[in-house]
Amino acid sequence: MLKGEELYQLIPQRPPIVMVSEVRSVGEGCAQIGLQIEKDNIFVKDGKLQEAGIIEHIAQSAAAMEGYKSYVNQLPPKLGFIGEIKKCKIFFLPCVGTHLLTILTVLGEAAGVTLVQAKVEIEDSDKEPLVAECQMKIFIKNE
Amino acid sequence: MDKQELISKVNSVLAEEFEVEESVITPEANIKQTLELDSLSLVDMVALIENEFGVKIASNELVKIPTFQSLYDYLAERV
Repeated sequence: MLKGEELYQLIPQRPPIVMVSEVRSVGEGCAQIGLQIEKDNIFVKDGKLQEAGIIEHIAQSAAAMEGYKSYVNQLPPKLGFIGEIKKCKIFFLPCVGTHLLTILTVLGEAAGVTLVQAKVEIEDSDKEPLVAECQMKIFIKNE
Repeated sequence: MDKQELISKVNSVLAEEFEVEESVITPEANIKQTLELDSLSLVDMVALIENEFGVKIASNELVKIPTFQSLYDYLAERV
């Protein structure tokens, strides 16, 4: 598991815009990425993580999954861009203090574009753990 | 699944996903032009094919599949 400043080896973002706090696992075409929602998170308003913050978290999770490939090859992280977001559903806004766990599954890759399915859940929740889900196309810039 | 069943299923799922009439999908037609695929939507077709047929099309193989006939042949060898 990678966390804290170790994550800077996977993503190009830096505080205060970093929206992942742990990379729990990365496998072939899948990953589990976490975010602890702190009260000073710039996407928090009225004690809840806002929609833009959830989308940014998903995007950075996908970037971290791709960045892990560079990391294991001892290369710097590549810039990634959101190409499209579709089938996006945000069921509720999670509160400060909760820990999100996002499960990513790669649905396909073509012409430098990766289509990812993301499910954002509250970890260890007894009720309604699913916060959001969407499909996102990520374009990774190759130098 | 025999090849005719495969062709019917390919045409059906592509027509539904990309909202075109099945009649415009002919063996010699160009896939990108017929389905109006651009660099972003090409991955949708790749994901759909993998989901429906369990066949993963590698990026470097896409250039070998310009027409529906070439797609039918590609899948028939792998399904």
